[in-house]
Amino acid sequence: MGDSTSESDGDGTVATDGGSVYEERFIPYINTWGRRTNLLAVALSLGPAVVLLSVFGILPPTQAIIGAFVSVAGAFGIFWIVEPISYYPVLGVPGTYMAFLSGNISNLRLPCAAAAQESADVETGTPEASIISTIAIGASIIVNTTLLGIGAVALVSAFQALPELWRSALESYLVPAVFGAIFAQFGRDYPKVAAIGFSIGLAMTLSLELGLLAFLPGFPLYAVIVVSVFGTILAARWMWEQGLIESPTRMDD
Amino acid sequence: MIAVTMWYEAFSLVPAYMDIANSRWLWLATVPVVSVVLLQAAIFLRRAWQDGKEMGLSDEQLRSGFKTGFISAIGPAFAVLAGMLALIATVGGPVAWMRLSVIGSVAFELPAAEIGVSQFGYSLGDGDITREAYTTAVWTMTLGGTGWLLVSALGTPHMESARRKIANGKDDLIPVVSSAAMLGAFAYFLSGEIPAGTPETGSVAAGGLVMLVVLHIADKRDAQWVREWALGTAMVVGLLVGVAIQVTVGSWW
Repeated sequence: MGDSTSESDGDGTVATDGGSVYEERFIPYINTWGRRTNLLAVALSLGPAVVLLSVFGILPPTQAIIGAFVSVAGAFGIFWIVEPISYYPVLGVPGTYMAFLSGNISNLRLPCAAAAQESADVETGTPEASIISTIAIGASIIVNTTLLGIGAVALVSAFQALPELWRSALESYLVPAVFGAIFAQFGRDYPKVAAIGFSIGLAMTLSLELGLLAFLPGFPLYAVIVVSVFGTILAARWMWEQGLIESPTRMDD
Repeated sequence: MIAVTMWYEAFSLVPAYMDIANSRWLWLATVPVVSVVLLQAAIFLRRAWQDGKEMGLSDEQLRSGFKTGFISAIGPAFAVLAGMLALIATVGGPVAWMRLSVIGSVAFELPAAEIGVSQFGYSLGDGDITREAYTTAVWTMTLGGTGWLLVSALGTPHMESARRKIANGKDDLIPVVSSAAMLGAFAYFLSGEIPAGTPETGSVAAGGLVMLVVLHIADKRDAQWVREWALGTAMVVGLLVGVAIQVTVGSWW
């Protein structure tokens, strides 16, 4: 490692300053490789479409592709922007590249990153937390790619042999439990912010269900996400400025 | 989730495009893009481990982060597998595996596939979906998913400045803002489960309570391994509580 020499000739300042290793070496490296791999994935994700065209000679009419794309963009396009921006504060730079490449963000990546930060005892939002998130998300990718690969080939029939009750239970009740658990984990440190966040989220969801958001264009689920995340952030910031909450930094003194 | 169970029932009808959808060629076409996901995970993991050490994280913290990410991913990955069955039944094994290992989630891929086949007047589960309509579904999922990849590939480096702006340059505020973002995001996720029914609400609550109890025990005993199993325990208990409510009182709304 050529770069390890730089710390041996100094008096240890580089090695002890975690922030500079993170900002000056780790993040630029991640940005370079994150961009490369995610753009490569854009190209390679066309694989099945290309095989359907080149091997089987099937290409749908352009009109059908455009029509379908416009519908999908109308329904989901707002999430292309809203989700990366909303989840970035939690995922950090490496986590954003990894999570949006591998998908299943709310039910898999975020919970794994959060649980790992708790067990490695690092402060959310710090460079150390970002490192731990990267490692945890990497581990979760190994698990779910392998499991889904085996599942797609072999486990499908085994799962279908499960009684209907357990099949639907796995689909319906595991994810809500994860949501409750992670919410509680962060709520322990900031109970007041949790109460406000929960009120905002529930109020927005119920408004959506009751059609109170119908004045917004499209299906206004995006408004629920944006208001929940940024409303909670702004509320927390205001409370912090008023001295109502403080960061639970381990003040040893 | 109701829609998903409906698609299961349609599983018995095997549409004509399924021979292509489960062909060896399509399996081959999905391998490169899934490999990119694993490659990125490996590159990021290696670098985070190296730089994390230099930043002063202990081996124990790094290992704990990996282990927690790994363990916490198992439950949700099985839940994704359960959801994947609906996709396997409609778009075949290879495309289902690829879409859920890269970029997607069942909540996006199923509607996207539905929009694709609807261009030809079909609905997923119809026994007479043509190869052309199936191919349109594949194109729709592919093009629709690239939005997230492009935004994360090109936008991530600029997101830090947006975050700093929200924190207003006050470093102490960053953990508060990050935790608030997490609380806001999960308040949104879990409030979406509450209107779904009493069992879902019960598993949210059980997941949260178990997490609080387990973390409390871990803190009191200062037991690291307890923390690593916290999310897994909360998931299993939440799942059982959901099933218990479903079979006893059912749903009140």
